[in-house]
Amino acid sequence: MERFTRARSWRPGPSLVSLVVGGASAVLVFYPIVYLVQASLSVGDPQARPPEAYGLANYAGLGRYAHIFWNTVLVAVIATVFAIILGFAMGWILSRANVPGREALEQLMALPYYVTPLMGALAWSLIGSPSGGFLNQVWRALGGDGHLIDITSPYGIAWVMALFEGSVAFVMIGAVMKSMDPALEEASQVLGAGRFRTMLKITLPLVMPGVLGATIFVFAEMLGSFSAALVLGLPNRFYVVTTAMYQLVSQYPPRFPQAAAMGVALFAVMFVMVYIYRRIISRGTYVTITGKAFRPRAMDVGRLRWILFGVCLGYLGIAVVLPVLTLLYASVQRLATAFPRAANFTLANYVTALSLDAVRSALWNSLLLGGATAVLGVVLMGFLSWIIYRSRLPGAGFIEYVLMFPQAVPRLVFAFGMLWAWLVFPIPIYGTLWLLLIAYLTVFMPLGIRTISGVMLQIDRTLEESAQMCGASWGYRLRTVTMPLLRPGLIAAALLLFIASVRELGASILLMGPKAKVITPAIVEAWFSTSTELTAAMALLQTLAVALALAFLFAVARRALRPVGE
Amino acid sequence: MTVSASPPTGRAAPIEVRDLVVRYGTVTAVRGVSFSVAAGEHLTLLGPSGCGKTTTLRAIAGLEKPTAGEIRIDGAVMYDAASRTQVPPERRGLSMVFQSYAIWPHMTVFDNVAYGLRVRRETASDIAQRVGWALDLVQMGELAGRSASKLSGGQQQRVALARAFVFSPSVLLFDEPLSNLDAKLRAEMRVELKELQRQLGITSVYVTHDLEEALAISDRIIVMRDGIIEQVGTPAQIYDLPRNAFVADFVGSANLIRGRRRPELDHGGFVVIETPGGALIHGVAHGRSAGSEAVFSARTVHLQLSRERPAAAHNVWPARVRSRVFQGDFTQYHLDWDGRRLVLRCVTSEPVAEGTDCFLSVDPRHCVLLEE
Amino acid sequence: MIHERHDAMPAPKPQVTRRRFLQTGAALAAVPILGSTRSALGQTAPKVTKVLDFSTGADVAKAEQEGEVVYYGHDGEAAIAVLLDAFRKDFPKIKTSYVRLQTGALYAKITAERSANRYLVDVLQLSDISPAIDFQKKGGYEMYLSPEYAAYKPAYLSSPAGAFAWVGVTFAGISYNRGKVKPEQAPKTWKDILNPAFKDGISAKLATSGMQHAQWYMLRKLYGNDFWQEFAKQRPRGFDARAQLFDRLAKGDDRICALAEYAGYTLFKEKGADIEFVAPPDGLPATPAIIGAVNRAPHPEAAKLFIDWAMSNRGQAVYQNQPILLYGSLRNDAPPMATGKKLADFKLLFPTDWADFQASHAVFVKEWNGIMGL
Repeated sequence: MERFTRARSWRPGPSLVSLVVGGASAVLVFYPIVYLVQASLSVGDPQARPPEAYGLANYAGLGRYAHIFWNTVLVAVIATVFAIILGFAMGWILSRANVPGREALEQLMALPYYVTPLMGALAWSLIGSPSGGFLNQVWRALGGDGHLIDITSPYGIAWVMALFEGSVAFVMIGAVMKSMDPALEEASQVLGAGRFRTMLKITLPLVMPGVLGATIFVFAEMLGSFSAALVLGLPNRFYVVTTAMYQLVSQYPPRFPQAAAMGVALFAVMFVMVYIYRRIISRGTYVTITGKAFRPRAMDVGRLRWILFGVCLGYLGIAVVLPVLTLLYASVQRLATAFPRAANFTLANYVTALSLDAVRSALWNSLLLGGATAVLGVVLMGFLSWIIYRSRLPGAGFIEYVLMFPQAVPRLVFAFGMLWAWLVFPIPIYGTLWLLLIAYLTVFMPLGIRTISGVMLQIDRTLEESAQMCGASWGYRLRTVTMPLLRPGLIAAALLLFIASVRELGASILLMGPKAKVITPAIVEAWFSTSTELTAAMALLQTLAVALALAFLFAVARRALRPVGE
Repeated sequence: MTVSASPPTGRAAPIEVRDLVVRYGTVTAVRGVSFSVAAGEHLTLLGPSGCGKTTTLRAIAGLEKPTAGEIRIDGAVMYDAASRTQVPPERRGLSMVFQSYAIWPHMTVFDNVAYGLRVRRETASDIAQRVGWALDLVQMGELAGRSASKLSGGQQQRVALARAFVFSPSVLLFDEPLSNLDAKLRAEMRVELKELQRQLGITSVYVTHDLEEALAISDRIIVMRDGIIEQVGTPAQIYDLPRNAFVADFVGSANLIRGRRRPELDHGGFVVIETPGGALIHGVAHGRSAGSEAVFSARTVHLQLSRERPAAAHNVWPARVRSRVFQGDFTQYHLDWDGRRLVLRCVTSEPVAEGTDCFLSVDPRHCVLLEE
Repeated sequence: MIHERHDAMPAPKPQVTRRRFLQTGAALAAVPILGSTRSALGQTAPKVTKVLDFSTGADVAKAEQEGEVVYYGHDGEAAIAVLLDAFRKDFPKIKTSYVRLQTGALYAKITAERSANRYLVDVLQLSDISPAIDFQKKGGYEMYLSPEYAAYKPAYLSSPAGAFAWVGVTFAGISYNRGKVKPEQAPKTWKDILNPAFKDGISAKLATSGMQHAQWYMLRKLYGNDFWQEFAKQRPRGFDARAQLFDRLAKGDDRICALAEYAGYTLFKEKGADIEFVAPPDGLPATPAIIGAVNRAPHPEAAKLFIDWAMSNRGQAVYQNQPILLYGSLRNDAPPMATGKKLADFKLLFPTDWADFQASHAVFVKEWNGIMGL
């Protein structure tokens, strides 16, 4: 067998690949940011493009909006607290207590993410509006005074945010809990400490760094939240930075510079948060993470387990069942109320919704776009994850930083920068689905890379190294070893990207065009300009269509997962 | 092992490693290591965990990027710090068996073994023939069609082996391939490995922390600690003539006895030391020099215990049995001697009760002077 | 008998001459220009044909070949759907697509697009005359003299005619929820919306609304500049469309709606809402819905056809009679509205000086944003 090669100096190959990938990523991610900052510094005629004059006047003028920044922080803090408490409680219950049906419950915990924040906000608006909300109507019928809950207050908005955008807290804390060696708790119990004391003295301190990291991450996400504040806050004169930006650019004359300055301010805060978060997780925690996921033996909590089971079901009820039922209830009435007369029931809303071309084309566009995001996203992000975490190419750290950067930018702000930037880009993609696709792929890059790399890092590096030792080049390895092993993770990432794309509001509401309507902003438009009942019908139709599409995708994916060999 | 018509093996290549340094951030795992491996030789890198043996192996493979030094395989430069050359692993023509076997679960046994051949674009018939030969050699011929995810540990190990040598590499690298097997299987595989290596005649570099394994299969052993080489030699040399305390105690169990040199008592090639307790020990120096103080190494299996005083001229002393540990094939005794403990191992015969006074003796040829 | 106020309304007078227009065009040359630099005046008169029951200057065959018309409008989604459905029934070969945004947002979008050389729109409908005049100045409208314009007074067309026209009129009074407001507290005049009893329970539209601009301007003229500062103390809530306003009013989420469009009231009353409409004696601010064909449209003939259709009796019937639209028609020969009332039955308030009205827009947006909490 002939020997392979003579000695050679550094090949240009790896460096060139890094350069190209790094350069393309940097352009994709930073182009909108650059334009965002440029817009914020424009102090001349706001309509002039490129800006006439530059200055810091817009930032100086941000003092006017101090109450909006205060609102944003207030709501984000409350929502984070809610989300972490919920996430910790659910995480602890499902990983430590012997609640019946644990595995099934864990899977079901992903459902609030699929309900989407917009639907959740719409439903809770119907439930908790101070005057017209169903719950408050019931309260008054029972003799109460005024209203029981006010979903349009900051606490109400934060509650909805936590329920539907805070599920990432559960995922992160749950992961931390799972990676803890159960022997640490068992040792405590053997030495005589009770269950509660063990949780307080052993579990809590050990998971604290992970929980802290999750808290910061969730807080950063909440700062950029849009849907809940739009649906619930706007009617109550309650603005946060994202909704204020949206309002400022939706008027005539649009106030791009001011909106841009607000966006940059918010982005700066989020950037600091994400920086702190990365410092925390990179320093490593003192929870032993050996790379093996423990399946901790659940503690026997006695009769308490039924109560905890009820708590889990209660959470799912509030987050999933209640919103869907509420929307269903409202969608079949002419004028939605808690105690309708028989004559109030009608199917007209569904008839109208189905006949609205906006609904049909928007739904179709959303499914199409979701599919494209999922497929292209998975291929792209799989390739990029491999480059960052496995290829040992030079500059991998830079590429990772660039691609994770959108995490620090609220999605609406990012879309704003894209809007401003792509309006003048020579390729005529403004107002088309292509622009939305590019936007989605960019803002979901961190999500996709995180998911795929999580799976990738679980694959033993030696599986790729042994392929190397058999003589395979990196392209051959990627094709024959890495990709097939990644398949389950890739499929999970594809489904995640699909649903993230369909539920996205902040990015799409600014970038839509007449031919590029997608369903979530269309539902918002309907909520603003038609009746609540019709909007409820549209929202349910969307959920149904998406559920069917997901089921279809999942079935296709299961077939693709067939084991090879016999 | 059946030997079917064997395709021609590749030409075994010599390896040369010079002044190798490997640094990770602030930690230096390998600190200036030089050795060479002759073509067809089986060299083992032996040492405790963290000594740098695996790092050295992976540097030869190309999976680690060293900081300084030079690596040549068959005369060709694979790594050279001076000219900033680093040939990627897939182009070095080597092969490797991993500790975790790294069998690809999504392929069949056949596909796993055929991988290297497919990379080299062999024809389908050639592939079929060679894979068949390789699998037969490791006695996995019947399981060629099985999915790799359904193999036991031992089976995976064999497949990993077959995969490694099927394309006749010039060098085979082993990274603790048997450490995940149970003791019995390990012992069996050891023998098979040795025969296989001899039959194929490929240059092998083998990493292990298991002493028995190293002694059983190596042509030469390099003992490493903390990133440097402690001793190089054949198994017999390492065992019989350890250079220092570390090697002495790592390669088999040994008693280390320190004492003052009594050069005036030296005779006939033997040297003498006097312990603090006044006992005189005669031993061999093997050309090693010693200062005023010296240390002898006496293997636990070379010490002898007897009730009556043996008839030797030197190295006989009284001792008391402090404790006895039954270990199956041998029994280990802890003795009080010269104000300290000594450990002795002997084949289990009539046990000597604890507290018994007896005589301890050792052949002077089995007391080895250590380098300081 | 209430005065027929709307007859006495002056026409808007933008100062557009050929020279000034070209100067403006040159000044904007540094930035991608919004519209055509061709002279807007001096187009050849279109050939008039009759199609269905109205006259059109468009080439119908060509329009059908183009096959599509893109409509940007401010009405609610369902309302636009009804309108476009009616058009499609008459011209099945022409597809329709639309973007719905409130006037301010709509105009922001179209100008942004055009400044980046994206010409996506055929027909534009706004609810405020200020952006229409602005758009005309920038040469955004196609100067097209529809044969149907003959049925309208010149006051209801652009000056010079051909840029845009008043496709309908909407006007607003006050509306309240009968269950939430005691009869003795019920508002009767505009000043009653300042009653502190209604604090935190009163709604209006956002600064993007043309109707809101009109009301702000007119009541300011009537009651002075402090009127709205007083109103700010009511902490009013702002919304995007009348559907939302009446939705909330009907459910009792708001007690009073300070900008209650008659059309919205009618629709929700019919749905069974317990609400009441008040027409204050000082008059009802009104705003026209302004429609025009856009310059450099992707489907120019279809655009012209749509304008002709919308301004004809056929189209006006849709605008006036569809419960979700319920505009008042300004055609000389228009029949009464679906409710039986004519426009003349209401005391409508229009600005006397359109230039002043247009110039006030920036002031309005700033003040109104502040009133609404932004």
